[in-house]
Amino acid sequence: MQIKKLRIDPQWQPRLESIGYGYHTTDGIPYWIDDYYYEISNREADLIYKATNELWQLCLDAVEFIIKKRRYAHFHIPPFMIPHIERSWEQDDPAIYGRFDLAYDKDRGELKMLEFNADTPTSLFETGIVQWYWKNHYFPELTDQFNSIHEQLIQSWTVIKPYLKGSTLHFSCAKETLEDLTNVEYLRDTALQAGIQTKLIYVDDIGWTGNGFVDLEDTPIRSIFKLYPWEWLAREEFGKHIVNDPNRAQWIEPSWKMLLSNKMILPILWELFPNHPHLLASYVERPAHLNHFVKKPILAREGASIAMYYDKQLIYHTEGEYGEEGYIYQELAKLHREATGFSVIGSWIIGQESCGISFRESDMPITTDKSRFIPHIIRH
Amino acid sequence: MRKAAAKSLQLVLITSVLASCAQHQARQGNEGEQRVFMRADSTAAYTEVTDHYAQERSGMGMGNAFLWYMAFRHLGGGFGYANNSLHPQSIAGTNAGKAAAYQAQRGGFGRSAASAPRSSYGS
Repeated sequence: MQIKKLRIDPQWQPRLESIGYGYHTTDGIPYWIDDYYYEISNREADLIYKATNELWQLCLDAVEFIIKKRRYAHFHIPPFMIPHIERSWEQDDPAIYGRFDLAYDKDRGELKMLEFNADTPTSLFETGIVQWYWKNHYFPELTDQFNSIHEQLIQSWTVIKPYLKGSTLHFSCAKETLEDLTNVEYLRDTALQAGIQTKLIYVDDIGWTGNGFVDLEDTPIRSIFKLYPWEWLAREEFGKHIVNDPNRAQWIEPSWKMLLSNKMILPILWELFPNHPHLLASYVERPAHLNHFVKKPILAREGASIAMYYDKQLIYHTEGEYGEEGYIYQELAKLHREATGFSVIGSWIIGQESCGISFRESDMPITTDKSRFIPHIIRH
Repeated sequence: MRKAAAKSLQLVLITSVLASCAQHQARQGNEGEQRVFMRADSTAAYTEVTDHYAQERSGMGMGNAFLWYMAFRHLGGGFGYANNSLHPQSIAGTNAGKAAAYQAQRGGFGRSAASAPRSSYGS
């Protein structure tokens, strides 16, 4: 796995915009990298594929364990949501996707799970579509990419379709965010191609009648995909209606994902599978022997409010308003480093199967909303 | 193993959204066309809602549910056309069109995002 350079296409921005990708640049700084890329080997792609499927299975086992043993302490989930979480798990409510963030140590050939974005993962559109078009532009022949996201999404919606409630699947996100809207519209696109009837509604516009949630045309919402964090839904004014909803609307991702999107899952995974080759040691309280570690809020987004320690000395930290609910302590991982920066692998699980990767690169060893997206190819 | 990628990708929705955006810009040059702009509260920018209005307005000069909702929805903190100190019925009165816009409460989700605007609320 290594960075390779390209001669930049002067038309890269209009080329991306022509396929519907409008957030390639933030405040004049490119988020999308067009003129360099990662080249990985077939063996590395196989390693990521296998590790991702294995981690997904560990996560499912951990959810089963938490629910069975009622290990909800430290998750800071509102108590009224627990029965909803348990019901969504017992009913096997459909989940569509998630993204593991992995650290790769090339020298040791080790992949370690940094965290699991199980509830509201983004960068799906750039991973599934934009980097595929990028590959076809620069490498039109005889080159592959670890990327079957598009087909896997359509196939997963096709499998889920018979289990959806109602005739329409609503799709929702917050207003005024092009990135989230693009991700949601891409998902809705793939659902349409699977033959599902869909409607878009901003989360702010969801209505409550006393007899259920409705869209702007007062049509009952029976199934809804939301790109909006569960912990926010639960604490907002309509949160309690989710559990009192007479229609028992089906939420995707389901509420049991609250257990996996919370960093408290990391110490539980380590407790259940100590020394697993793809896990980092993680704890609720920092043990005395842990000298190099990262302190992460259990609920945080985009790398905010993180502190990194080496020999128990703070070496990096990010600003943020998170941490009120508590922290976990995770063994410091070695990130892949090139002259251009530190990289984390985003590995997607869609419909129970690993199906694509992305790379996010940063100047410091913490991935944030400013981190760059780097496309990749598989070297043959 | 689903490692290797496809083939030819087809996008139905995003491509059509872009196409409609292009048409929208082209249409702005038509001076004779009636255009409708609304805003949700006194601090917000005006948004063109001509398409909603043109597609669905009734012959009774009342506009549709979307327009009534935009015009009379309750926004917390006293902002907007109506504030929480007034009962919805006091605003709707005997107007059935206005009353219909109040059949559902809205705005009960989304506050967390509105209070800390970001480019994405994903992870």
